[in-house]
Amino acid sequence: MKRVKKELPVEMVNISKNFGRVQALKNVSCMVDYGEVLGLLGDNGAGKSTLIKILVGLYPQDKGEIYFEGKRVQFSSPQEARAMGIETVYQDLALVELMSISRNFFLGREPTKKVGPFEFLDKRGMDEVCAKALSEIGITIRSPDESVSLLSGGERQSISIGRAIHFGVKLLILDEPTAALSIKEARKVLDYVREAKKRGLSVIFITHNINHVYPVADRFTILDHGIKVGDFDKKDVTPEDVVNIISKGEAT
Amino acid sequence: MSRRGLSGFREWLKYRLPKYPEIGVLVGFFVVFISFSVVARHFLTSESLGAILTIGAELGIVAVGVGFLMICGEFDLSVGSVLGLSSMIFAILANTGVNLVLALVISLALAGLMGLMNGIIVVKAGIPSFIVTLGTMMLWRGVVLAISGGFPVVFAPSSPVKYALSGRFAGDFRTSTLWFVAITLILTIVINRTPYGNRVFATGGNKEVAKALGVNVNRTKLMNFTLSGILAGFAGCIQFSRFGSVDALRGTGVELEAIAAAVIGGTLLTGGYGSVIGTLFGALLIGMVRSGLVMAGAPAYWYRAFIGVILIIAVIINTKVRGLVIK
Repeated sequence: MKRVKKELPVEMVNISKNFGRVQALKNVSCMVDYGEVLGLLGDNGAGKSTLIKILVGLYPQDKGEIYFEGKRVQFSSPQEARAMGIETVYQDLALVELMSISRNFFLGREPTKKVGPFEFLDKRGMDEVCAKALSEIGITIRSPDESVSLLSGGERQSISIGRAIHFGVKLLILDEPTAALSIKEARKVLDYVREAKKRGLSVIFITHNINHVYPVADRFTILDHGIKVGDFDKKDVTPEDVVNIISKGEAT
Repeated sequence: MSRRGLSGFREWLKYRLPKYPEIGVLVGFFVVFISFSVVARHFLTSESLGAILTIGAELGIVAVGVGFLMICGEFDLSVGSVLGLSSMIFAILANTGVNLVLALVISLALAGLMGLMNGIIVVKAGIPSFIVTLGTMMLWRGVVLAISGGFPVVFAPSSPVKYALSGRFAGDFRTSTLWFVAITLILTIVINRTPYGNRVFATGGNKEVAKALGVNVNRTKLMNFTLSGILAGFAGCIQFSRFGSVDALRGTGVELEAIAAAVIGGTLLTGGYGSVIGTLFGALLIGMVRSGLVMAGAPAYWYRAFIGVILIIAVIINTKVRGLVIK
C-alpha cells in the first residue's frame, strides 16, 4: 500500500511481525485521522493487540514503517510513545487500586509546590484539578481522595480516559475498554469517547464486539489472522455486515 | 437522625479509615501501654520509658527503612547482617585512629552500597528480593564472622560522635531517640507529600500500571534498597556508640523484628500500602513489650512469644479493616 499524501496523526504502513514461525501480522496498514474514532476489529487472535503493541513500542516490527504526524518514528518503549502524546488505556492496567483517584490521575507527572530547595506534592491542587477535569468531561466522583479500589470497572475506565483528555493526549488507544463492563457502564464509557473526539483527540478503539464500538466509530479496520480484511466507512456498513466480515474473514 | 449518624460512620469506615494505616497500631500501642502501667510497678518511670525509647529507636531506625522498602513491594532480610557489618567496620576504623566522623561516613556509605547491591540483583536478575536478601544476609554475616574471628571489637574512648549518636540527655533518654523521630518525620513527608512518595506507592501497588504511566520503577526500588541499607548501618553505628563494642552476632534477628514492626504498623506485606508513622509505633510497641514484660515479672523468654501473638492479632485487624475497601 502506498502512503496517504495527507499528514495524519498516525499511519502504519505494511507492518509484518512473526513470533517464531507464527505470522502474527502480514503487510497490515492502518491509519487514523485527526478527531477520528477508528474501530480496530477482529476475532481473538486476529492481531489487533500486536499491531497496537508495535505502535507504542512494546515490540519492534519485522517489516514496515510507522509515521506520527507525518514523521517516521520507532518508539522503543511505551514511555517514549507517551511522551509524544500517545496514551494507551488497557483493560486492567489503568489505575493503581490502592491509591486515591487524584494520586492516580497525576501519577508520573505530579504537580509540585516549591518550599525552599524542596519540591512537595501540591495535594490540594491535585484534588481540585482532578475533580474539575473529570467533572468537565461529565465524570462524577464522590471525592478525588477516594481509593480506586472502591470504584467500578466502568468508573476506572472513565477516569483513565478523562486523564488522557486532560493531559492533552493526541492519540488515545483503548484496548477492549468495554469488554468487562455492564451495558449501562459501557454506554457511559462511549460517552467519554465521544467527548474525547469532540476535543479533537484521535481514538483507536480495539474490540471484538462491533456493538461496543459501532455507535461511536467513524471507520472500521478489520483484521483476520494477521491480514487486513479492509477499511470500511461507517456509512457503508451495518453492524451485521461487520459481524459477517469478521466471521468470514473476507469482505463480500 | 440516628440512622444518618450510623451511615455517616459507615461511610467514614469505608472511605476515610483506610487512609490511615496506622490507626490499628495506635490503638494497640495505647492498650498495651495502659496495661503495663497498671500491671508493672516501675513501668511509668523515666528510667523505664528511656529504656523503651532506646530499644525502640534502634529497632525503629532499621524498621522505617525496611517498611519504606516494603511499600514499594520489596523485602530486605539482610538488614541485620548489614547492621552488624557496618558497625564492625565503624569499630575497626575507630580503632585504627580514623576520625570518627569519617569512619561513620564510610560505614554508612558501605551500608548503602550493600543495600544498592541487593537492589541491583533484584532488578537486573528479576529474582524475588526475599531470596536475594536471604543470600546477602548469610553473605554479610559470614564476612562479619571472618573479619572479627568471632571476637568482639571494643572502642572505649568517649567522643562527640558517639555522644551525638547515642548519648544520654535529660537523665534516662538518649539522642538516638531524636534521630529516630527525625528520620520518621522526614520519611513520612517524603512518602506522603512528594512526587517520589507517590511513585513508591505506585511501584508497590501495581508495578505494571506504574510502568505504563512512565514511572521508573527500577530506580525507585534501587533508591529504597539503598535507603534500607543506610538506615540499617546507621542503627548499627548507634548501637555501637551505646555499647562501646560490637560482637559478631550483632543484629541477628533484627530483620524479622523490623518486618514485624512495619506490619504491626499497618504496612501491607505485598506492598503499595503502609505508613512510616505506623512503623514507628510498631517498633516502640515491640520495645515496650520487651522491657514491660520483664518489669511485670514475666520470664524474659516470653518476649518473643508475646511479640508473635501481637503480630498475628495486628495482621488480622489490619486485614479486616482493609477488607472493607479491597474485595
